[in-house]
Amino acid sequence: MHKIILAGEDSILIYFGSKIDSALPKNIANFANALKAEFSQLIIDLTPSYTSLLVHYDLSKVNYLTFSAEVQNLLTNFEFSNTTEDSNLIYIPVYYGFESGLDLERLLAEKNLNLDEFIKIHSDKEYLVYAIGFSPVFTFLGEVDIRIQAPRLATPRIKIPAGSVGIADSQTAVYPTDSSGGWNIIGRTVQDLSLKNPDNLNKFKTGDRVKFYSITREEFIEHGGQL
Amino acid sequence: MSFKVIKPGFLATIQDYGRFTHGAHGLSQSGVMDEHAYGWANHLLENSPTDAVLEITFGGVELQALDDCAISVCGADLDFKVNNQTALSWHSVQIQKGDVLSWTLPKHGIRAYLAVKGGFDTEVLFDSRSVNLRENIGSKLKADEMLICDSSNIEFDHFIAPQYIPNYDKDIVLRLLPSYQYHQFSKAQRVLFFNQTYTISNANDRAGCRLNGVPIAIEKSKMISEGMSYGSVEIATDGLPIVLLKDAPTIGGYPKIGTVFSLDLAKLAQKQPHAKVRFELMDIHQAQKQRLKFNQFFGLD
Repeated sequence: MHKIILAGEDSILIYFGSKIDSALPKNIANFANALKAEFSQLIIDLTPSYTSLLVHYDLSKVNYLTFSAEVQNLLTNFEFSNTTEDSNLIYIPVYYGFESGLDLERLLAEKNLNLDEFIKIHSDKEYLVYAIGFSPVFTFLGEVDIRIQAPRLATPRIKIPAGSVGIADSQTAVYPTDSSGGWNIIGRTVQDLSLKNPDNLNKFKTGDRVKFYSITREEFIEHGGQL
Repeated sequence: MSFKVIKPGFLATIQDYGRFTHGAHGLSQSGVMDEHAYGWANHLLENSPTDAVLEITFGGVELQALDDCAISVCGADLDFKVNNQTALSWHSVQIQKGDVLSWTLPKHGIRAYLAVKGGFDTEVLFDSRSVNLRENIGSKLKADEMLICDSSNIEFDHFIAPQYIPNYDKDIVLRLLPSYQYHQFSKAQRVLFFNQTYTISNANDRAGCRLNGVPIAIEKSKMISEGMSYGSVEIATDGLPIVLLKDAPTIGGYPKIGTVFSLDLAKLAQKQPHAKVRFELMDIHQAQKQRLKFNQFFGLD
């Protein structure tokens, strides 16, 4: 079940499971907090992902064998309660339209859905934050309803505008800044999620939940959205 | 008080020891590519070992001192000159107001570090002064920009004995820890990996160094994304290695055959495309012992 492996000269990787599971992000976040509390002097950084936690520790203070044994000990005795306290629900407004959703028209045809049905399927669901990474604040959310899942584009776009909301298989996400990428773009938010606003650093954490809601083109423009 | 940028060069950025504690937010470690040269640059000025320096890649940089300032230049030989006269590298140097410092082209190695007494006083962004262009954190050097630092005059004369100055033209061996998916690669795959000489490709930057060679046959090339350590070696879909460096993404989904020892990454940071590298296994205890010695010497512990 739990497994600790070597990741580098001053890092270990802890696996909490072998496949993607909605119970894991919260478990990993809870364990990360316990680690920080227990070994605050030894830990430099923690990087959670879907099934794992990368632990970067201070090799000047503790060596690999001692540290892995201590972490193993904490793991063995840890009670994974999977509580959702300390988990935030974050709302994100999205203008789902053909101008903002570059792949929307194609997806509607492929999925045999009308726009309202598509919007309802995407925005009805509360998504779980599984991982953050790839680039700053890029937040991997799951799981997308099977009816609107779509694989990544064969050829990634060179430039996707900041705020674009995309789907890749069972995942959905917002691009915080202009970037290249291969996700299917279905809409755009007016919320600035880039680091131009430094508070965005702490906007999401793994185990949080996100809900999208639909806004009109007028509301999008009114709040500073650009098409 | 400061330096004025006359020529910004090809790629020159302010870097420090790195941006830690933001892995959970998707921010990469960043920081200097050659920790060895960086360590010496600060050490020769009796600076803090984590002070910010200017990382100059390939050269093309020209700065004018607006005040007296003690400096040191370590790392690559980019034909460093003061007022058009060849100047000392790996040596503390007193600069006078009005002096012009220049780095023209790479003669040996590719990255030089300019340290100033007390460190460069640029804006701290997410707990570090390191610029990360991939993440839009800070920007590269621009013409007419001012680089702020204290004015200083030093009495001391610090330098490195010539035998300790690295020879960046030597072929390098990257010592690799058997980490991550090492044990999931078959014996045949590992033999192919360790018994060949790779060539550094043109596609290499501060995020990663792609290597050309005989591809390793891969059946399943994607896995669940997980946190990636500095120096971990991805085997991409094409079967070729990518050594992940300071500006690499925090998480990724290619299998990793191991992790290169940090002080060998410092040597890799000085290599041009087409240079040859090989891999060799290293034991974690050896790696920790050697890194600890380095940290203790430079006061990083």
